[in-house]
Order: sequence, then C-alpha cells, then structure tokens
Amino acid sequence: MIVVKDAVKKFDGFAALDGASLSVPTGSVYGLVGPNGAGKSTIIRHLTGICRQDEGTVRIGGEDVWENAGLKAKIAAIPDDWYYFMQSTVRDMMRFYRGFYPSFSMERYEKMKEIFNIDEKRTIRRLSKGMQKQVAFWLALSCMPDYLILDEPVDGLDPVMRRQVWSLVLGDVAQRGTTVLVSSHNLRELEDVCDHVGIMDHGKVLLERSLAQLQDNMVKLQVVFQDGVTEVPPGLPVLHASRVGRIHTLIMRMSADEATARLAAYNPMLVDAVPLTLEEIFIYELGGADYAVKDIVL
Amino acid sequence: MNWEVRTMQSKTSFFNRTLFRKNLTRFWPLWGGAAFIGCLFPLALLLQLVRRGGHQVGSPLSFTELYYNVVAYGLPILSLLYAILCAMLVWSYLYNTRSVGLIHTLPITRTGLFVTNFLSGMAMMLIPYAATGLLCVLISLAYGRFDPVGLLVTILGVLGESFFYFASATLVAFMVGNIFALPAVYFLLHFLAPLLDWLLSQFAGNFIFGLNNYGYSGVVDFLSPTVYLMERVNVNCSYESVITQTNLTGSYSETNRLISVDLENFWLIGVYTLVGMVLLALAHVLYARRRSESAGDVVAVGWMKPVFRYGVVILMVLLGGQALYALFWSSFQNGQYYDALPMAVCMLVAGAIGYYAASMLLAKSLRVFRGSWKGLLLVAVGCVALCCVLRFDLPGISRRVPEISRVEKVEFYAADNHYTLYPGEDDALIEELRALHKAIVEDQEYIRDYQDDWMEAVYNDDTGTMTTTYIRLTYYLSNGLEVRRVYNLPLTKYRMGRDGAYDNLLDKLVNSETMKAKRLHAGDSRYTVNTGNLYLEGSGDYFDLNSREAAAVLDAVARDAFAGTWGDYDWFDQNQNSAYALNLELNFAYEDEWGTGYDWIEIIVRPGMVNTVACLKDMGLVTDQDLVTREEMEKDYQFDENQEFQEKLAQEAASIGVIGGADGPTEIFVTGG
Repeated sequence: MIVVKDAVKKFDGFAALDGASLSVPTGSVYGLVGPNGAGKSTIIRHLTGICRQDEGTVRIGGEDVWENAGLKAKIAAIPDDWYYFMQSTVRDMMRFYRGFYPSFSMERYEKMKEIFNIDEKRTIRRLSKGMQKQVAFWLALSCMPDYLILDEPVDGLDPVMRRQVWSLVLGDVAQRGTTVLVSSHNLRELEDVCDHVGIMDHGKVLLERSLAQLQDNMVKLQVVFQDGVTEVPPGLPVLHASRVGRIHTLIMRMSADEATARLAAYNPMLVDAVPLTLEEIFIYELGGADYAVKDIVL
Repeated sequence: MNWEVRTMQSKTSFFNRTLFRKNLTRFWPLWGGAAFIGCLFPLALLLQLVRRGGHQVGSPLSFTELYYNVVAYGLPILSLLYAILCAMLVWSYLYNTRSVGLIHTLPITRTGLFVTNFLSGMAMMLIPYAATGLLCVLISLAYGRFDPVGLLVTILGVLGESFFYFASATLVAFMVGNIFALPAVYFLLHFLAPLLDWLLSQFAGNFIFGLNNYGYSGVVDFLSPTVYLMERVNVNCSYESVITQTNLTGSYSETNRLISVDLENFWLIGVYTLVGMVLLALAHVLYARRRSESAGDVVAVGWMKPVFRYGVVILMVLLGGQALYALFWSSFQNGQYYDALPMAVCMLVAGAIGYYAASMLLAKSLRVFRGSWKGLLLVAVGCVALCCVLRFDLPGISRRVPEISRVEKVEFYAADNHYTLYPGEDDALIEELRALHKAIVEDQEYIRDYQDDWMEAVYNDDTGTMTTTYIRLTYYLSNGLEVRRVYNLPLTKYRMGRDGAYDNLLDKLVNSETMKAKRLHAGDSRYTVNTGNLYLEGSGDYFDLNSREAAAVLDAVARDAFAGTWGDYDWFDQNQNSAYALNLELNFAYEDEWGTGYDWIEIIVRPGMVNTVACLKDMGLVTDQDLVTREEMEKDYQFDENQEFQEKLAQEAASIGVIGGADGPTEIFVTGG
C-alpha cells in the first residue's frame, strides 16, 4: 500500500505539495489526475525517493521511501522524461538496471524483446521518442517490481503499442499483485485502466475514490422540459448546464435516482441518465476548486 | 555466471560495482587520454636511454630526483586541473533533472552513491599516474636504477595530492548545481585567498598613508594549496665532487655525483590529505542534505546563496572598483593615494553590477530588479563605509609605530642603503628610527597634501633647497608579523634645520657616525663582505672585486669614516656631483634566524677619502685621471662639446655652397677661408 500523508514540499517558498494525502491500495491501479502544476510529478518524485518532503510522511508498504534502498529495489518508475546514458544501447541499460535490481528477470527481458521488437544493440538516443518509451517499459517491467510508478507513461506511444503496454502492466497487476500509480492527462485512457482515481490541484489531493464511487456520486442527465420552459428551474442544484435545442444537459452531484426524483417535480417530458466520463468528473470536480470550467472537450 | 549477476548489491552496501564500472566505461576517454599522454614521457625517456646505450643514466637517485621534481613542481598543477575534469564527469548527474531523477530512483542510498562515485573519480585520477609510474618503474628496473624509497615517497605524494584535489572538487560539486559553475567556483575558491590578499593590499595600500606599494603579503597562501605546495615543497639535491684520472692522458676531470635527494616539506602533502578528508566529510554532509531539485541552480545550498551574492559583490567592489577608477579617475587623481569619493562611486557601480549579475545567476532570470533596492542600499553603505574607514584610517594602521619591546629586527632603507637594526644591540638607533617614524606619521597630512605639487616644485627648483627621498621601514615583530611602511618624503633645507621635523630627524639619523658604521657593518660578525664592483664613469671601465679586494676596500672606507673624511650624505645633491665620478659597490652575505640574506652598500667616494683612494690606486683600479668629480667631468664634457661645435662651425664656414636648379647652378659661392 502506498500512503502519503499531509506531505508538504516547498520550492523557494512555493508549496508544490501543500498537505497532500493519498492512499493506494495494494494491487490497484491508481490514476492521479490534475491540471498542470497540480503537484502530480512532485508527489511521484517523492514516491520514487528523488525528493524528500518538508513535512508529512511518504510510505510504501509501511516503510519510509527516503534513503530506503531495500524498498526502492521493489519500485520501478518511469518518469515522463526517462534518462538514459548518452552512448548506451538497450543492452547496456539492461546491464545497468540488472546490477541494481536484485529481482531483475532476464527471462522476462528476453520475452519482452519479442513484444517490443527493438534492436537492443542500437544506442537509445538514436531511437524515436516512442521507442525510447518502450525501452523504459521494457526495463521497468523486467525489474519485476512490486510497485510501478508511472508519470505520463504512454505519451509518444502509438495506439497499438499503448494497448500492448497497458496489457503488460495490467497483466502484472493481475498475476503478481503489482500496485500501480499512474499520473496522466489522458483521462479517457485512465478510465479504461484505473480502478482508483485521485484528483490533485494546488498541491492537494482534492478527492480520491474508486472509479465506481466517483461515477455514482455525480450524474449527467439529458432533460427535455415541458413547452414554455426554456431555462433550468432555479431550485435545482446543478453543477453545470448546457442546452442544444430543447435538450438540456445537466450535471448534478448526486446519484441518478435522486436526480431523477428531484426533476420529477418539474414534470419533464424526457429524463435520461448518461454515464459520466472521467474527463467530465475531472472537469466538474475541479470546477468547485476554482478551476475554470469550460465547456470543451479536452 | 556473468558479471551482472555477481554485481548484485545488498541493500546495506556502500559500494556498487555496477555504478563503479559504468562510470569507468562511460568516461574512459578522459582517463584513457590522460594515461596515454602520461605514458609518452617515460617512453620518451626510454628512447633517450636507448639512444645513449645505457650510458649517463645516472644513479637510482637520478630517477628519484625526476619523480620528486614531478611531485614538487608538476603534481599540484596537474592534479588541480585533472581533478576538476574527473569531478565534472562523475558528479555530472547532479546537474540535470533527468539524470538526478534516474540515479536517485535507483535502489542505492546517497552514501552508497557518494562512496561509489568518489572511488570512481579517484580511480580515474590515479589510473594515468599508475600507468605512467609503472612504465617509469619498468624502465628503472631495466637499467638497474630502482630506488624503492623514492618510489614510495612519490606514490604517497601522488595519492595524497590526488585525494586532496579530488575531495576539494567533490565538495564544490555539492555546493553548486550547474556543471559550468563547478569549475568556475572550484578555481575561484582555490585561488580566492591570494586574490583577496592582493586586492586588499592594493586597495589599502592606495588609501592608507605609508602602505603604498605594499603589494601582496602571502600570509594566507596556505589557503591556496596549489600556490602553497608550489612554494614550499622543493627538491633538495646534494652532490659530491668526484675527481677521475684518465688512464691514457693522465689528466684529471671533476664531475658532480648525486648523493642524496630530499623532498623538502613533504609533510605538507600529508597535512593537505587530512584537510581533504575533512572536505570529503563536509561533501558527504552536503550530499545527504542536498535537494535533488537544485539541479540547474548555480548554488545548490540554500544558505550559501547570500554568501555567493555578496561574495561576488565584494570581489567586484575590490576588483571592478579599482579597474573603473583606473579607467576613469586615475588621471585626475590628486596625489599618490586614491580620492575617496570617486573611488566610492566606482566601487558602487562595480558592486551594483556584481549584485545584479549574482542575483541573475541565482534566480536564473533577468528579472531581478524589483525589490532589489535593499540589497543595493547595503552595497552602497558598504562601499562608502569602506572608503571612509580607509581614507580616514579609522583602525589607525598608518599611525602604528611598534614598541621596541615587540620588535625582533628592523630593516631600514634610506639614502640608497639598507640598515638592519636589532633590539639589544641598536636600541638607541631604533628609538631614533621610531622617533622619525612618529614624526612622519604626525606630518602625514602635510606629506599627502603637498606630495603631488611637490614633485613639480622640486623639478622647477633652481635654488637646491627642496628635494624628495624614498624610505622604507620594516619591523619584524616577535609574534611573526611584519609592519612595513614606505614613504616618499618631501624634504626642505628649512625643515632640515628645524628640530623635531622629520627632515631633521632623518638627516641626523642617516648621517650619524653610528649609522655610518652600521652602514659599513663595521664590527658586525654576522656580515661577510663577499664581492664588489667598481664602475668608472669617465672611462666606462668596469671591475669586479673579489672577496679579498672587497674586504680591503671596506677596511679603507672604514678608516676614512673613522677619520671623519667620508663626509655626509647630501640630500639635496642626490647625484653626488661633488663626489668622484665612480660607482663603488660592496656586497655582503649575512646569517640570522631568518636564514641567509644578502645586502649591498654604495660607497660615495669623495675627495679627501685618502685611504679609500689609496687602496683603489694600490689595486690598480683607478688612476689620477679617473679621480675627477662629476661636476668637473660635466664641465669638461661641456667644454669638449662647445669646442667641437666651434670646430664644426669653422669647417662649415670654409665650405662651398651651390644654389641651383635643374638647368644648372644659379650661383656658386665660397665662404670663409
């Protein structure tokens, strides 16, 4: 289990983490979402032992991460800008990782060679950005980690390779109980792979729930009111409303049943509950935290 | 089992072989190139030995002498330069967000990273030395000239200096967060102490009365190990003469044989090695506290940022302030000392430049002006305060005249001669000297005010009543410090006759009989007259005097002095026109607790110095024709010049003149005759 509690990290007076807390259950895939500058990468740098928090605790499996070489041997991380040695080939980097991670599996490495299909004798800097990302996954997964921490992991990968990579990651989760924490802006993708989501903003984790809980807590309704009613009745607790022709689309922070019951008082011609996407949840949740909600599709 | 498996580390390990090996394989061009260049030297030596066929190889000590010369005069510079290159490579990951991310994510503690990377750097430092040394050893073994003691000392020296320099580079590596800042700060810190010493000496010397041309004190050289080691660690060789007789001709030849080689002050390398250990411990503390996010910052340690900012300001104030002053104000300067107000302005401008430059480097931004007025105000107050403190000499440096009880030796230079006075032997003279010093200090405003105008006045003076002279006083104190003062003094005949004026005290002191005896080192067993020389201005002849001749001349001068015929030093006739037109100089060597020193005196030979003249004549160095005064010689010279001019005029008068054009002479005339 990954637990961050009241973590504070300041850079020259600016609080990149301002009392952030999160909890990732063992064996889950946890999506960390948030706008740019929310503190996602900072919290990941604490979870991988790069930075030390000014206040609070950052623990994995009940142990502090900072300066804990034994624990870090169980963690593999892929940052958004993965570093490799300038002249190194894939094989060189494999040797390097293998020298550090006792659990590194050559068998797995050889198996994944066929999946990624990259010449391991080529210098990494000569590979495309997407191929470099594949190498990062190749090596990280070969370390057989108990904890996999990914920061914008599939940027630059083509759709087929994205699917392949997620398949490998989820396979590890299913077979080995690997705990995955992934930060991404690609909410549609996270929706497909995550079972838990945390939303960060201004250095805090605003909420974290399982995806099912999130979707139950907010509802999107398409409503057609009676003739002559052009505006949403003011008594309704609507987070966001839009209209196309006579169809009003309402977002409300309640369950679908409760929302339908509240609308019944206005005798609508049509009420239809539509599933909310993670993207919509992200936008409307952050709307309450002064985030500029725009009626756009990200 | 391949090496990857063997190198798997335990979580408590402080050393990671994978990282060590990676460092060496990544950075092999540096140590490989250095080793290659290093190996060229023993190979060149081998080539020379092969060409000589093994003759003239010398003893094993000659190899030791070679090693020691490298340790004493080459190693500090080589290690200084090479250590920073190694440090820039092994610690380079600290200066990039991506690389610091990878390395600090790895399952190894910072202590493990520190130890492994430091050992990698040390290996890179030592491999070239080891390769070069191994070749030297093989060559010396091949020629049977192996000296194990010399080799051991050399190895210890190389290890010690390499360790020290790499440890210091490592400490700096953790102080900065930018790879370009690393060599800049490293070299600055290695030479900061002598640089500040020089700058402060220049600055104070141009402000404080008597400190002029004080120069560089060298008291903090130990803070600059390269300077200190180059100065203090020396190779001392002892030789013995070997006379050999050739069988065929029976002739003798003398050669010098090396019998011992010693590395003087070798222990200093050991001291710096211990210092290196302290620096290394500090570096480890800094690494343990280092924030990875400081990658890219010029200064990585929070509390060092103001130190860096104001350190740059201080350097700029001293260096840039004096440079600006020299550019814009020195030609308007009144007197030989800095004018305080223009200097304060120059310092402020330079300080402001330094302040904003440092702020921009620290902030990695050009937008540092908002809210900077407080810092700038501090710089301005500092500049004005420093100028006031120095101009008005608030610490009282210029007024300091050491008590005789605190003095071990006084050196005095005046009237072209050196005097060395010792408490207990020359108490009366030292008191007179102190009285002179106090009188000068009391009149410092008079001397400062009139100094500049005085030079012009002396130049235009036809009456011969004013002149200037240069004197220097050095007090060697019992606490090991020195008080050195230099004065350019205006002198007048009026003040020379006035009791208590420094002009009067100086004249009385220099022309006293005891001081004259002191000048000749008469009866002083510490001094031995070694050599001398004589230059005859009339004929241009020059003679070297051997010790016997020099001693005879000295004895004759002493007899003249005793008889009162030597005469007084004439301050207003510094060309000594009434003396004979010859330059006689005697050279001495002396021993005191500071070691062997050398001194010389100029003897002004005046008419009436019968003993000296007789001595020079007896030795065949001068004849009656040479014994003319400079005044007489000048008159003769002017007479000869005048006569030559008249003859030329007469010759021209008897010549034929032609005035003409292209079509033939217009007029031909003959004059004179």
